[in-house]
Amino acid sequence: MTLAIDFMGLKLKNPIIVAAGPWSRNGEMLNKAILAGAGAVVTETIVNEVNIDVRPRVAYHNGGVQNIRLYSDILLEEWEREIDIAKSHDGIVIASICAQTSSEISYIAGKMEKVGVDAIELGLASPMGEGLEVMAASAEKIYEMTRKVVNSVDIPVMVKLSQNVTNMSKVACAVEKAGGSAISAIDTVRCILGVDIKGRKPYLATYGGYSGPPIKPLGLASVATIAQSTKLPVCGIGGIETYENVLEYLMLGASAIQMGTALMLNGFEHIEAVKGDLEAWMLENGIEDLSEIRGAALSEIKSFDEIQVEPKVSHLSDICQRNDCEKCVKGCVYEAISKAGCSVIVNEDKCRGCGLCCDVCPDRILELIWP
Amino acid sequence: MNIKAVAKKAGVSVATISRVLNHPDAVAPDTKEHILKIMESLEYTPNWFARGLKLNRTGVIALLIPEILDMGYMEIAKGVEAVAHQKKYNIMLCTTEEDRSKEKGYIENFIARKVDGIILVSSFLKNSDFDQIKKQDISVVLIGKNEELTGENLVYTDYQSATGEAIRHMIEIGHRKIGMIYGTRPKIENMDKREGFRKTITEEGLNYRPEHIVEEENSIEGGFLGASKLLNLKDRPEAIFVTSDIMAIGAMEKIKQAGLKIPQDIAVVGFDNLKISGYIEPKLTTVAKPMYRMGLVAARLLFDLMEGDREEDGEPQEILIQSKLKVRKSCGHLDRVKEIF
Repeated sequence: MTLAIDFMGLKLKNPIIVAAGPWSRNGEMLNKAILAGAGAVVTETIVNEVNIDVRPRVAYHNGGVQNIRLYSDILLEEWEREIDIAKSHDGIVIASICAQTSSEISYIAGKMEKVGVDAIELGLASPMGEGLEVMAASAEKIYEMTRKVVNSVDIPVMVKLSQNVTNMSKVACAVEKAGGSAISAIDTVRCILGVDIKGRKPYLATYGGYSGPPIKPLGLASVATIAQSTKLPVCGIGGIETYENVLEYLMLGASAIQMGTALMLNGFEHIEAVKGDLEAWMLENGIEDLSEIRGAALSEIKSFDEIQVEPKVSHLSDICQRNDCEKCVKGCVYEAISKAGCSVIVNEDKCRGCGLCCDVCPDRILELIWP
Repeated sequence: MNIKAVAKKAGVSVATISRVLNHPDAVAPDTKEHILKIMESLEYTPNWFARGLKLNRTGVIALLIPEILDMGYMEIAKGVEAVAHQKKYNIMLCTTEEDRSKEKGYIENFIARKVDGIILVSSFLKNSDFDQIKKQDISVVLIGKNEELTGENLVYTDYQSATGEAIRHMIEIGHRKIGMIYGTRPKIENMDKREGFRKTITEEGLNYRPEHIVEEENSIEGGFLGASKLLNLKDRPEAIFVTSDIMAIGAMEKIKQAGLKIPQDIAVVGFDNLKISGYIEPKLTTVAKPMYRMGLVAARLLFDLMEGDREEDGEPQEILIQSKLKVRKSCGHLDRVKEIF
């Protein structure tokens, strides 16, 4: 049994890649991530002109994180040294880079290739600092930028896409057509994390990028769409915390995944925990190689006319033990469930089989069955 | 005091001292520390001139800019310096005043002084002026396009499309009669701005009116004078595009003195994004020129060439650095969100 994967021609020891972000801001941090067991690491996004950090720039609320840091604060010349440090233990290092024109970004890509990175990730999907329209929202722009970089370097080029786009499929196809080696998705999502009611102001001073578990469903949908639109390997990003989250992304077509926010909150040692759980799951399920499950759930995504309409209704599969819980009653918009004490009654004539009661029940003792 | 005396006192070879000076990373930390202390006690500094002869380089690059008091060129210099400092290089800074013969004179001087590389900003030279540099094998990078000087490594920004973006923004707001105060300098840059203005006005189906364009000195006074002329017109423009922030500040002063409100009576859009433009009242909408970044990238490209990093037969690189429309209050738009992004 092995966790090793082949991704864009790179041999990764496992599918967990450390994403671009403040936790990958220099060689020392990247090296730490490699020593902590990451399959590969992505640098914080490298640009020609570094920005000054504002304070505060990260906020955390209800499991989600808003970040308003604009790219790496290390000069290109200094990155040459940082990459040396990052590569001191033979880890796979991917340089995330950003610029606004194809000639500028291909220049940075060439620089990074010379410094010795193993691959490039084009970070054109940042939800802040690059205008109202995210660069990665335009298929033409993505094509032009990717094409130029692909033509100017000999290492694999992965393109990071954004959920802030109307047609993910079109943008993904542009990457494929331009000769990109892989697509990673998704970047953080434009957000305002919340408003301080007393102070009458948002938590952070401007729009930022949203990350963490709340964006996982957005990431999953994007990865599935990319996997169904192109033949390129996909690197899933967005809200991954546990081995189950890794499996969800893999089953929707990802070959590898990136973790960022979970490491920012739990430290790099979290990589080893997820790896251990993943291995245990593979053992338990007789999986030898992760490619066996890649895309396993994709065929179960259907068009509306393919979904069988069945007369299923809610049914109590066990005895309710909660005297004061009314979640199933409140959660039924068809008023089909009534409850007296622990006695739950489903009116099958009224039930329309939406399925919400099954999910809101804390003991999950409701299920949909044929009447 | 020479390197031999340092080596003797430190009890190491001259080669080790040389390594401390040239490749300090290759020397054991304790040894390095020991040698640095001795150098300090002996007040030893390397003889840079001799060092240059030996390595066949001087550790100096030349930066030629049109004008020293212009904020934009100062930003370019700042960018070049940031990279040169990393590379332990010094900069020789000279100004051309947009005078081709003065520029040629400096080039000769740079060759005589054996500078290792040259960055020319808004150069007025022609291809034929470059033969001598080519013979000497000195690396050159240009900042700013020049139609008569081609085939060189170039870092530039597109003033024509940047102006187009600004004019389209003014049209989107609803301005139809848009005038222009056009600065005599910088020449090449402003020719592109004028063309961008003309093209956009025509493409957007507006009436291109030469009487709404005035040419003045690139100064606060020039802007003031230009606005005076436009305000005196019977059918005056309802918005003015000014080719520099410094002129825009002068124009705004004139408009205010005439008792008119900006942007309600007349809107103003500048070019450059000087720091002060974000503080004047009303805050000036302008085009942010990526001068600092152009300086950084040009210097990086120059060091690539000097370090032989680029393949011998490699095509010269042309790197476009994008400008950004900085929306504030003087243009009269109402969407705050545009100011944020």
